[in-house]
Amino acid sequence: MWTTLLLIAVSLALGLAAWLLFLWAVKSDQYDDVERPKHRMLDDDPEDRER
Amino acid sequence: MAVCAHCLLEMPEESATRETIDGKETTFCCPGCRAIHGLLRSEGLTRFYARRHGWTPGPPESARVPLDAFDGAVRTSGRQAEADLVLSGIRCASCVWLIERYLGGRPGILSTRVNFATGRARVSWNPSETGIGDVVLAIRALGYTPYPPDALPVGDALRRETSDLLLRFGTAAFLSMQVMLFTAGLYAGYFQGIDARYEQLFRWLCFLLATPVVFYSGAPFFRGALRGARHGTFGMDALVFLGAFSAYGYSVVSLFLGGEVYFDTATMILTLILLGRYIEAGARSRAADGISRLVRLAPVMARKAVSGGGAVDVPVASLAPGDLVEIVPGERMPVDGIVIEGNSEADESLLTGESAPVSRVPGDPVVAGSLNGTGSLLVRVVRTGGETVLSRVVQAVEEAQARKAPIQRVADRVVRFFVPAILLIAAGTVFLGLHGGSLPRAALMAGISVLVIACPCALGLATPLAVLVGTTSAQARGILVRGGDVIEQASGVRCVLFDKTGTLTLGRPRLTDVEGVGIGREDALRLAASLEASSEHAIGRAIADALPASRRLPVRGFRAHPGEGIEGEIDGVRYLLGRPELLERFGVAVDGEASRAYAAHSVARRTAVLLSDGSRPLAVLATEDTLRPEAAGAVSLLRASGIAVAMVTGDDPGVAARVAGETGIANLRARVTPEGKREEVRRARERFGPVLVVGDGVNDAPALAEADVGVAMGRGTGLAIHSAGATLMTEDLLRIPAFLALSRATMRVIRQNLFWAFSYNLVAIPLAVAGKLHPIAAAAFMAGSSLVVVGNSLRLGRGGR
Repeated sequence: MWTTLLLIAVSLALGLAAWLLFLWAVKSDQYDDVERPKHRMLDDDPEDRER
Repeated sequence: MAVCAHCLLEMPEESATRETIDGKETTFCCPGCRAIHGLLRSEGLTRFYARRHGWTPGPPESARVPLDAFDGAVRTSGRQAEADLVLSGIRCASCVWLIERYLGGRPGILSTRVNFATGRARVSWNPSETGIGDVVLAIRALGYTPYPPDALPVGDALRRETSDLLLRFGTAAFLSMQVMLFTAGLYAGYFQGIDARYEQLFRWLCFLLATPVVFYSGAPFFRGALRGARHGTFGMDALVFLGAFSAYGYSVVSLFLGGEVYFDTATMILTLILLGRYIEAGARSRAADGISRLVRLAPVMARKAVSGGGAVDVPVASLAPGDLVEIVPGERMPVDGIVIEGNSEADESLLTGESAPVSRVPGDPVVAGSLNGTGSLLVRVVRTGGETVLSRVVQAVEEAQARKAPIQRVADRVVRFFVPAILLIAAGTVFLGLHGGSLPRAALMAGISVLVIACPCALGLATPLAVLVGTTSAQARGILVRGGDVIEQASGVRCVLFDKTGTLTLGRPRLTDVEGVGIGREDALRLAASLEASSEHAIGRAIADALPASRRLPVRGFRAHPGEGIEGEIDGVRYLLGRPELLERFGVAVDGEASRAYAAHSVARRTAVLLSDGSRPLAVLATEDTLRPEAAGAVSLLRASGIAVAMVTGDDPGVAARVAGETGIANLRARVTPEGKREEVRRARERFGPVLVVGDGVNDAPALAEADVGVAMGRGTGLAIHSAGATLMTEDLLRIPAFLALSRATMRVIRQNLFWAFSYNLVAIPLAVAGKLHPIAAAAFMAGSSLVVVGNSLRLGRGGR
């Protein structure tokens, strides 16, 4: 019985940790712009200086 | 519970603010709402409350932006001032009605237009009677929050909505994964046997995990269902909510009184549908970014020439017709005007679609937003602000978008009748059960089980899932689609209208012909390409690019003659390269073979330049805008599937006819203005049916917005992309017939899904009403029907890329 309970507790704790990480990511705007960053490396230098 | 008369917020009786109106006691949630209600009454606008159909304006937001931050948004021209504002808090068409009516009735306000889709308002007023401060305060008094267009990009409110959806979806996803884990254990236990202690533990864990999903992640559906119920209609929200909540409610009752639990059903349907909503909201907020970028196309500052020489930097908004402004090389024109002094060329491709820069000498008009070339100009202001050609094009786009009828989704039409029917059947089951002598609890459970069986996943997923897979699969094929409605519209397209420049053609000139007059072709090309190596002109670059940089000769004393050509020295010889006028100005007679070749190119609508060593013409070089290699293939594919194809361009008939001939397009209209293109779309719709427009420039934007489906080229201007429902990321025209085929396939899959979901209901509901459906059979039924729908939808994703 206690092994099952332990495993349940572990799985819930892992899920909770992942959820908290997700919460942090959303709150710190990590998902705000998923388009721009992947194109940024293609920008020429002059455009970079402008920003 | 008391309900606020303005925002319909429910609150405890003791916290309500009260007022006696017309002898009746009315309650409000806060003094703000009371003030707004009073304001509407005094303005005779109480019809708002009758019009809003259960939509609520919400409690007023506090104003955070200081009034002077709005000054920059004002454009004054003569006796009229105008400002664009971004409004937060607009939730429905009656909000738009309210703001327009209220502002329109105030002294000094000339006109108010609110775009519901973008949440932007354009207000114009008489500056001698009122000011921007009054406008802002009036809008705030209504309970909406105005922002200056720069302080809060249009996308911001949408972005907040997107991140809210993401939080709800993420939470639902994490929790439903855990729920599935324990549910799997319960199912295994059903067949293999399970210790009652474990069974009870797993059920409670499922309950604990599912509760936040239903009440937090499911809240938007609950609110949507409530709004719909007040309105008397039932949409997707109601269906999803009913499905999830009845499964949850049934399971909670079973938890205490015994019976099967279906927590997994409740969480899974919410998770999957939230995912679809999140992706859709993301696409919408990306599209909305386009317009904020466009507003910055015309500069905000200009150099105004003052009497007695010199110039000062002033805001464009302060310029009046008749003022003189200086424009330096490479700057964008701040206003529409007439060139007084100077010699340059202007790149107006943004507005006219014409790829080659046009020469601008005194007396020529220039338009705001176009790019000045290599010379300085002195321009007399003719039109500023909302009067410029650029602004009129933007206005045309917004009008077309605001006017477009909202598109009803296929599923919504079905669901509107389905949900009330299911509710009636469930109520009937409870009623019959009680009449037939069942215990009240048994009768109620039978009723709920009808809801659980009838409403869940399959029908709720049928449309969103197919649309989701259809959009992502379109994206994998290089087409960014803004929403499910675009796919629905595209499936019925009967006619495709192409723009020419930048759409059927590459939009940049390419060297096609070199003819030596007295010297060899190779030598002529080598000289010309070397001379043009440092040219900034589009035609110059086309010539320079025709020769590898390593083979170019060193050039000294390079000089550009704006609008005419260039000169430079190679091996001690001074060469001229440009229009015949340049050569003649330097005393070179253009006659004989060179003159004939030049004339021939002009007739064929190619842009030609002449090379000379200062004494005689040496060569004629011709450039033209080349056709996209796949253009003809795409046109014939479209025609093969029975779709009419036509071309509309602002260019002159000669070039248009050549391009039309090469691509096999029979219908063409040349020299069409941006507004004219919109008219052409309407005409095509009357003749053929739903129209798809492909374009890239600002000049195409009104047509893109007017069309049933607008497709913008990926490298097109921000406005074109904003106006279009879809964007061609790879600029491959063959993707257009592919997209049309995909959207037809998506609609087919939606119809199949609805058919499956309905047939499942037809079998399962009678059994559930009769109380003959075994719980595990019900679970299998539900999972099975969902799997059919999911699997069928996923077929759309095959063969992508």
